[in-house]
Amino acid sequence: MRAGRAAGLLAIAVALGSSPARAQSFYDAPAPGSYALPVIDSVEEHTLLAHDGKPAPLLGLGERQIAVVSFIYRSCSDANGCPLALMRLQTLDRELAKQPELAGRVRLVTASFDPKRDTPERMAELRGHMSPKSDWRFLTAASRRELAPVLTDYGQDVAKVIDPSGNETEVLRHVLKVFLIDGEGRVRNIYSNGFLDTRLVLADIRTLLFP
Amino acid sequence: MRYGKWIAVVGAVLGLAGGAAADETCQSPFLPKLVGQEDFIYVWTLGIEGLGDGSDKLVTVGANPARKDYGKVVSSVSVGGRHEAHHSGFTDDRRFLWAGGLDDSQIYIFDVASDPAKPKLVKHITDFKEKTGGVVGPHSFYALPGVMMISALSNSDNTGKTALVEYNNNGEFIRTIWLPKDAPYGYDARINATLNRMLTSSFTGRDNYMRPLPELLGDAEAMKNFGDTMVVWDYHTRTPLQTLKVPGAPLEIRWAINPNHHYAFTSAALTSKLWGIFRKDDGTFEAVELSDIGDPSKTPLPVDMSLSGDDRFLFVSSFFDGTVRVFNVSNPRKPYLAYERIIGRRVNMVSQSWDGKRVYFTASLLANWDENTEADGQYLKAFDWDRSKLEPRFELDFRALELGRPHIMQFGKIDFYGPQGAGAE
Repeated sequence: MRAGRAAGLLAIAVALGSSPARAQSFYDAPAPGSYALPVIDSVEEHTLLAHDGKPAPLLGLGERQIAVVSFIYRSCSDANGCPLALMRLQTLDRELAKQPELAGRVRLVTASFDPKRDTPERMAELRGHMSPKSDWRFLTAASRRELAPVLTDYGQDVAKVIDPSGNETEVLRHVLKVFLIDGEGRVRNIYSNGFLDTRLVLADIRTLLFP
Repeated sequence: MRYGKWIAVVGAVLGLAGGAAADETCQSPFLPKLVGQEDFIYVWTLGIEGLGDGSDKLVTVGANPARKDYGKVVSSVSVGGRHEAHHSGFTDDRRFLWAGGLDDSQIYIFDVASDPAKPKLVKHITDFKEKTGGVVGPHSFYALPGVMMISALSNSDNTGKTALVEYNNNGEFIRTIWLPKDAPYGYDARINATLNRMLTSSFTGRDNYMRPLPELLGDAEAMKNFGDTMVVWDYHTRTPLQTLKVPGAPLEIRWAINPNHHYAFTSAALTSKLWGIFRKDDGTFEAVELSDIGDPSKTPLPVDMSLSGDDRFLFVSSFFDGTVRVFNVSNPRKPYLAYERIIGRRVNMVSQSWDGKRVYFTASLLANWDENTEADGQYLKAFDWDRSKLEPRFELDFRALELGRPHIMQFGKIDFYGPQGAGAE
């Protein structure tokens, strides 16, 4: 992987994120509270590394707070993967910042599943690119070993792509998942590629916070 | 390493989870697709009493001509007993395959990632009816993010009122969503993520689908107990929005794959009609009868469909005449028959590869609806498709191999599953 190319891809994502060109939508977002968000699963608290290199809780939620947790890696080249997620999360960040009743109660967490390459310094750089306006935290792990139980807990698959010669590459195959976590560590929704619509995430957030 | 190369490699393995969907073309839009040559076909197979071990089993068949196991049985995992093995589906990460039994509502979860050539049974759900509040007959298994959605056929009274059921990927029950009162029957459930819409179709309850077919056909009262509706849902909220009248038990649903194509197809089994479900300008949907499938007066019983990745060819298999008919659906409101071929004495499931070059068929529908004779032809047949005709590649006789009745097929690939874990240390 060439760092310059990755930075370029990220820059494209960030540029799109700052001026999101939303595809035509064929549906309206539902009225918050008009539907149920049953508990899908529950997750534990985990300690990772913040962008300043200090230990930090993955969720760290206070009373009546919720989190939107995403797992990415900065070298991702799939336009429908991590760059898309970052673009949509940046849109969500800007929407949250404009809504004071939500801003203090919603935490965005973006954690890397590529701890070797995505050091705290690289996550700090990503944070700088994304320029968060709400409570958006950028985390990584000290090692693969420390990250493994986190990925298992969230059911986030990550696997190295094998080249035609049977050799491992540094390209990571993963299914994009963004998790909506309530204050009790319960997974209330999971957004995937093709359905990470910030209007739906906001409706879900309001459904949980203002039942 | 050149990055562009790896973008292509990753794309070739994964497909686009959000854009194109398929049989490989009919999979959930939330599931990564195998867009290259499949290595294996996982065949969920009904046991036959007195044949082999007599049990339902997951049979893995080699499908890659470059491998030595091409056209051969690679492995087989029996689950013990006969449960009316029917459909299966992958979790959203494609690491696990869920498979159900329509008779006693058992669900089996196989790990297909650790060794794709030898799936391993890792979980058995035995309390589906109890957990779901009386739903029975788990039919379609459809991946949502972190969730397996199961469309069922029946309930504890064995009638056709039924529900959609959701489990998390760990096999823990989440919720039951009963179908609306004006459309209580269930069969398939398919999502169009672009439209935030889900379609469900309708079949019949356990009283009917477990009954010997000749007996059922002779019972006029029982024959009234089949579905004649499809439901349009808001997928995100799981809210039913609209009930469409589609007489004659509409079964499989195939949304068009191009995200700009806002329609789906279904086939009505009892009336032998091809239907289109079209989104109208106001956002609602209409059901339109498009074509006969064979000669409806002879009840060919269309049972499965497969839509090509370019939305051009719709394969429709009909059980009683053993025939596949390929409709050109380039103009979805004016389909025409482009090709037909008798596959066997009976045919049920049809599955095509993402690129549409390979098409597979199996024979079995339901244990009590199949012919119960030595000559009933319990096969898996593989063909090449050149967009004009089918050419046979290989055939496996599941009865001669003492395996049972082959039903649904899913595709597997070895190098889809690299070493699991985070980035290199």
